[in-house]
Amino acid sequence: MHEFSLALEVINLAQHEAEKNTGRTILEITIEVGDLSGVEADAFESALSLLVKDSILGKAQVNIIRMPGKGNCISCKLEFEMNHRMATCPKCQCFPSEIFGGEEFRVVSLVVE
Amino acid sequence: MCDTCGCGDSGELKIHDRQHSHDHDHGHSHDHDHGHTHNHDHSHTHEHGSVLFTQAHNQPASKVINLNIDILSDNNRLAKLNRKVFEDRKILSLNLVSSPGSGKTSILEKTIKALSASRKIYVIEGDQQTLLDADRIEKAGAPAIQINTGSGCHLDARMVESAFKKLDVEPNSILFIENVGNLVCPAMFDLGEYKRVVVISVTEGEDKPLKYPYMFQSSNLCLINKSDLLPYVDFNTDKTIEYARSLNPKMEFIIVSAKTGEGMELWFKWLENQV
Repeated sequence: MHEFSLALEVINLAQHEAEKNTGRTILEITIEVGDLSGVEADAFESALSLLVKDSILGKAQVNIIRMPGKGNCISCKLEFEMNHRMATCPKCQCFPSEIFGGEEFRVVSLVVE
Repeated sequence: MCDTCGCGDSGELKIHDRQHSHDHDHGHSHDHDHGHTHNHDHSHTHEHGSVLFTQAHNQPASKVINLNIDILSDNNRLAKLNRKVFEDRKILSLNLVSSPGSGKTSILEKTIKALSASRKIYVIEGDQQTLLDADRIEKAGAPAIQINTGSGCHLDARMVESAFKKLDVEPNSILFIENVGNLVCPAMFDLGEYKRVVVISVTEGEDKPLKYPYMFQSSNLCLINKSDLLPYVDFNTDKTIEYARSLNPKMEFIIVSAKTGEGMELWFKWLENQV
């Protein structure tokens, strides 16, 4: 359950940015969570919703964008959607694939007032 | 990086300095560049059709700040600093990860007894509670610092930085960081180590690499421990290696028994090759 400490990290990051912007209120935060990032998006969202109370994000709308896993088969080069890291190529059943999407775990933007 | 996980708060983190006085430095202060303040007190006049609005603003309107910041960036920044310190002092730093009970501490005890005459060894011990592991390491002959993470499930770069400062590690030594027994969360947190060593034991099942792919993808060496129990368990070593290599083709493997000493020479040789 590292999602709790990651949620706290988001709050720290938001606090830091708010301070850089002279302590303005954060209205909205947008976070990308990749399906292959090692972060369980639902657990992370639950953790964040519990922890934001009385924080800089207390009044913010939280947008969590799930980013699908994407990979290229190293054998036939097919580009396909990977729902987990062990996904095999749907065409030639090869493994592993070169992952190029779905490992994101970042704060994309804030809307401040 | 926050030191907590689950329901705990940061007050639960304890770093036990066993060499010196007990100084619980929980140091989590951040140095933020706050810039300077602005006074936005001014007025605007807006004309909307035939109605005239005069509005005094104490704050500017909302604005979007594009960040694109990796949420682990603070931990990664500290890990990079740790790595630089280790490299500058020629300290071989290894992060030992595994599920609970795989034998990390037993492997370290045997390693310290075998190698400490020729090379200075230090250990940072991570556990949720107790000083038991640090006691075992000190009895084996190496200085140790115990980090108790409270309810936290992993070590992070800040904890390691803080523990390292208290250990007073000599150059040209080996620093083992024994992570909290957990094959999930520690995979995400770079501590600044030179290499990551995952330990599994033959009692755990050969499919462990497939079940915990992040850990096996992020590790450099896999120690397969408790080989003395192989005759009594259904554990296919070749299958484990095959599974792990499918995730991480560059992974190295050494089969050992900390109890009987089987394979330990290969592990010691591997260590010497890293120095």
